Amino acid sequence: MKNILIMSKREITRLRARFSGRSRAIVLILVALTIAGSYVIYHQDLVISKGLYNIGVSDNAPSIVDSRFNVLLVDREMGLSWLEQGTIDLYLDGEGIVSNHTERSEYAAGALQKYLERQELLRVADEYEIDRAFPLRIEIQYLETPDESPDVLTDAARPDIPAPPEPIVMSTDIPASSPSMSMEAPEEPMSESEIEAEIRALMPGISSEPPQPAASETDEAVRQQLADFAVNKQLPEFKAEFLSENDIVIPSLMSPPIPLAQVIITFLYVVPVFFISLFFTSSFTEEKVSRKLIVLLSAPVTRLQVILGKMLPYLVYSIFVIIGVTLVLGGNILLGLAIFTPVMLFIFSIYLIVALTYRTFKDQTFFSVLALSVVTVYLVGPAMFTGVNDLSYISPLTLAVEMYRGESFTVSQYFLATTPLLLVFGQTMFVGTRVFNEEYLMGFRPLHTKVAEAMYLTMDQRHLNISTTFMSMCLVPLVFMVELAAITFVTNLPLPFMLGFMLIVSVVVEEIAKSAGVVILLQNKALKSWKDVLRLAGLSALGFMLVEKLLLFLAISVVSESMFIQALFSGGLLLLPLTLHVVSTAVVCLLTMRFGTRSFPLAIVAGSIIHLIYNLNVLGKLL
Amino acid sequence: MTGFFALLKRELRSITREKTIMFAIIVQFFIASFSSIILVGIMAFYDPSSISDNTHVRIRVGVIASGENVEPLLNYMDNNNISISIFPDIAAAERVFKRGRIDAIMVVPESRGGVVDMQLIMPELDAKKTVVFMLLDEPLKRYENYLREANSVELKYGDTGGKPHTTYEFLYSLIVPILMLFPSLIAGSIVIDTVSEEFENKTFDTLVAAPVSLAQVVMSKMSAAVIAAAVQVVMWVGLLRLNGIVIQNAALVIMLAVIIASAVSVVTAIVALYFKDRERAQFFYSLVLVVLIGGSYFLNPSPFGLITRLAAGDPGLGMLQVGFYAIPLVVAGMLFLRVSRKLVLSKR
Repeated sequence: MKNILIMSKREITRLRARFSGRSRAIVLILVALTIAGSYVIYHQDLVISKGLYNIGVSDNAPSIVDSRFNVLLVDREMGLSWLEQGTIDLYLDGEGIVSNHTERSEYAAGALQKYLERQELLRVADEYEIDRAFPLRIEIQYLETPDESPDVLTDAARPDIPAPPEPIVMSTDIPASSPSMSMEAPEEPMSESEIEAEIRALMPGISSEPPQPAASETDEAVRQQLADFAVNKQLPEFKAEFLSENDIVIPSLMSPPIPLAQVIITFLYVVPVFFISLFFTSSFTEEKVSRKLIVLLSAPVTRLQVILGKMLPYLVYSIFVIIGVTLVLGGNILLGLAIFTPVMLFIFSIYLIVALTYRTFKDQTFFSVLALSVVTVYLVGPAMFTGVNDLSYISPLTLAVEMYRGESFTVSQYFLATTPLLLVFGQTMFVGTRVFNEEYLMGFRPLHTKVAEAMYLTMDQRHLNISTTFMSMCLVPLVFMVELAAITFVTNLPLPFMLGFMLIVSVVVEEIAKSAGVVILLQNKALKSWKDVLRLAGLSALGFMLVEKLLLFLAISVVSESMFIQALFSGGLLLLPLTLHVVSTAVVCLLTMRFGTRSFPLAIVAGSIIHLIYNLNVLGKLL
Repeated sequence: MTGFFALLKRELRSITREKTIMFAIIVQFFIASFSSIILVGIMAFYDPSSISDNTHVRIRVGVIASGENVEPLLNYMDNNNISISIFPDIAAAERVFKRGRIDAIMVVPESRGGVVDMQLIMPELDAKKTVVFMLLDEPLKRYENYLREANSVELKYGDTGGKPHTTYEFLYSLIVPILMLFPSLIAGSIVIDTVSEEFENKTFDTLVAAPVSLAQVVMSKMSAAVIAAAVQVVMWVGLLRLNGIVIQNAALVIMLAVIIASAVSVVTAIVALYFKDRERAQFFYSLVLVVLIGGSYFLNPSPFGLITRLAAGDPGLGMLQVGFYAIPLVVAGMLFLRVSRKLVLSKR
């Protein structure tokens, strides 16, 4: 620990020296400008489509106050001829909207209609008493369906839920709720008439008056929502919740939940951490290039201490940032730290990999940008669906959104979101210490050679069985990430290609991951007999499958009813029987042994074909 | 001049060889794909019919109605392909709901003083309730209008036959400008990296002795970065076209993007020459960028907005507005020529 602190102190001194005198003044000025600018923009309405549409209006048209529309006052005749020429996209008068039926004009009409609808609602709210203007109020109630798992923590956190309208007695023929429910084979689909018949059979003759809330009670809700409706224009408020229990919904005043809050939260936390970790990489690379790191290695400190020591100051700065942002947003500091510390460690581990692998700044910049966008996608993507789909819990950001909504999440949801990030950090530190030597750091080789080299250095040559198994286990999360990224890419393709492409990509990626360890040993001539190759290939396949299963199990215990996971399970796309894994991996490894590492790509093709045939077979049986 | 071209060729080669451009393109492709996924997600909220169109989701709603005015609502739901079962009371409906045979229960009482206080019982599960509510959204809105009319309140401009505009606005005001301006950001980073690399490897000293001016050395780096940016911008225009997204005024849009890339490159060259090390230069670049992007918001039209409107085919814009952005480029260029030599030779 003492050594780590010494290293950290040295790092801080270095950073101070860098930003001294005039540079510090410039930094402070720029930071001040940035904060001031953000403040001003925040207090204006942020409109992204300024002046997108040109609209001609007559003098009796309703006024348009929306910066998306360029409004020109023009009489009807002139306006219509402008419309003909395409100088304006729409003409609006007291009667209605005239479009020139080009695409642009129709989009403009859509936008204007939405805008006018809003104005009209505000008008009727103003002109008529509330009961006449907003005659429909809907009270939302929830009822558990049999296949839902009980959400203990969430319920406990909401003690003020009133009892449902009538006591619900669970009939005995309903199976107890359990997460594994969704994995059972679905019931035989019933025809429309069968359902009708069953519904009729279930109907008894009892009748009771449904309880009704008094009209005056919901008036208050309408007034409240109308007030909100009148203020918020382009951007919804910092609120991500959608339909909570006992909400009163007024259909015309309800706006769809725009997942903007998620994006804002991410950027507030993640961007500063990215900035700070950029300093870490810069400093690391610079000392690497100037060989100061190598000098440090000859000092009586371990490699881990060097890495941690250099990282620590930046980690501390990041923690300050997290605390600061949480304070500003009014969140719970401990929860904020619990959620964002894993995220921070994850970002740092990515930057450590970049710094260890690349020698030129240019490559580093690009790899960082790539990493930044992938991380943002990983964090923001699932969180977009907070409260919509439980799969969103694979992103820790979802937890943050829940936190700011004042809702709580379960412990297993917390672990699902953060464990992968922490594992990545742990793995990176482990690999980092293994490859932290002069030859690796100073070597100037293509990326794939660097990766292979790092993997070879990570494996313990004395315990090949364990190392190979462990290696393929560690690669599983990476495989998942690559597959996720591939899904993002394939959305550009038409549907049939999408499915085919994903089938092929996932098979190829898995085959590479399973055989990588053995092939790298072969490349370094660490394996001699085909028996060894076969044994390690089997172990590698086993390790891969174990972790794959474990991850899916974890996912399923949280996402009890996700069709996505269900499809994966029944389709067997990810969870293939062990035999197949062993056979395909063995084929790849033995072919590579026989024909040399140069033919590794061909061996992958062979293994992938076997794997693919199997997958298609499984799919074929299903369809 | 030949010396300049030799240098330019060297820089371009290094950009293509080190696959930097490949990285850049992958990054942009990734961002674009991801945004379109989000777009589909957002569309599902705004335009619930897309859920049912794409996935053929059918829901079944149990209705307990005590009023006569419920008939229109049933019709609206029927039009939207929602199956309806009528129940005599909540208890019966709940039993059926628990068997999973209906997806939601609607309790529609008689109107009291023109107000209908409906109760909607939905599954607690997030994914399900969202789908249910999104599908019910339109019939409910129409029913609300029906009730309003019954109260003799009329909303004007009800149906103008416009198209849902969200995708259109999102595409032209976010995706297109991002794709057009991202290459400029990359150009700035490339300039800083290549310039500071010369300082860190101490190769500037050698170049001082070569028969080219220092300004030319740096300019060759800037030109290479700008050319790379231009290639990407043109590529995006083509790729978007293939995807059915037409960039109107393409020549002007490309020109604007290249002008901005050039201005960014010149500014970053000055920053890199001033600081001489990458760490500080990149940091300042990022900060300056944030300030500039924030500042440009107050311009009318801002670069972002100008690209949006040009690409969407606004007829009122042209050379004049694009030309305006050449002014900062010229100013920065002149500054660069004045200070570059002094900056290179100044001590760290």
